[in-house]
Amino acid sequence: MKLARFVKFREEKFGGVLFETRSEKVFTLTSTGAAVVKEIAAGGSAEQVVARLKARYQDPSGKLETEAREFIDSLRSQGLLSED
Amino acid sequence: MSASLGAPLYVGWQLTNECNLACLHCIEESGPGKALAGELSREEALDVLRRLDEAQVPFLSFSGGEPLLHPGFWDIVASACGRGMHVKVETNGHLLKAEDCARLGSLGVKAVQLSLDGASAGTYERLRMRGRFETVLEAARLLRAAGVPLELNFSPTRFNVHEAGLAIDKAVELGAIGFYTGRTIMAGNAARSRALLEPTEEQYASFFAQVRAKAAEYQGRLRVCCHEMGFLEELKVRVENPAALFILLPDGKVKLINALPFLCGDLRRQGVAEVWKSFLEGWRSPEVRGFIAELERDPSLVGRLHERVECSLS
Repeated sequence: MKLARFVKFREEKFGGVLFETRSEKVFTLTSTGAAVVKEIAAGGSAEQVVARLKARYQDPSGKLETEAREFIDSLRSQGLLSED
Repeated sequence: MSASLGAPLYVGWQLTNECNLACLHCIEESGPGKALAGELSREEALDVLRRLDEAQVPFLSFSGGEPLLHPGFWDIVASACGRGMHVKVETNGHLLKAEDCARLGSLGVKAVQLSLDGASAGTYERLRMRGRFETVLEAARLLRAAGVPLELNFSPTRFNVHEAGLAIDKAVELGAIGFYTGRTIMAGNAARSRALLEPTEEQYASFFAQVRAKAAEYQGRLRVCCHEMGFLEELKVRVENPAALFILLPDGKVKLINALPFLCGDLRRQGVAEVWKSFLEGWRSPEVRGFIAELERDPSLVGRLHERVECSLS
């Protein structure tokens, strides 16, 4: 899994932005969203991305894992990720 | 949103004002022999590009004039693509040979946008003086054969609006992924040819109806981007919510937006962050807001849109 071909990510003070350069759509990200996207950009499957996030941040309630999975699904449904 | 960003997301870079065509509606007044004094050299342009990359500007479009006429065009595009920036080239297509299209494909440009204002030689060549309709079609075919994503741009005029639907059919036939259109701004050359060019409101209504119908017909196959809003309405939106986009002129000066005369910096002398700060201040300045309000009262000011006025910044 990685960012789709036409998607660029940039960190900002408030978190980050994803820019889909073909449709010229901009998606703003919170700092949590930006952390997930940075891990996606680093490569690996959704499972590996979530595992790395859990290793980096405390997640005793499992909330981070749930939200990260939902966020990844949301990015996927908007065509911002590719699987190859 | 732009105010919270550290840099623009998109730079529309007019590499040169020189052009091999002399289009009746050109807002930049480009044409043969119309290069500006002091245009950025290849080396200067590469230096600006490096600084845009360091500022993490993700997306550049190269236009003109005709961008392929800039002596550093290929090096600039290669450098931008090599840095991982997303690049679009906006060209009239007349200088593109098969080997150029292959090169654009291998460099990985995200799209090439060709101007195709009509579905016949008669309408196209009336607007794009010195241009040839068949040459653009051939360029489109060569780009597709080279695997380059193709977009088309259509500027409506009094004498081509009736062909909008056919032009969109042609875009699909050519394998384009995008079709861009909207109201033609009557500034620059267009201001002088206004009586000949400007569609009536009735014509615009029919034009937008054709475009909407074709957009529905080709949904999922062709992305049709049509700005029905007049430029004044768009300016009123932009002044409250500036797009994260600035226009880089051939000599390194930076404009707030094509459809305003205001300059907010000079990338030959200033850093990207400094110009970006001036860009955001410029949109908030009373001078810019006042000009937009005055434009509403006095539509003849549209003739000044392609001029250059330094923003008075704090």
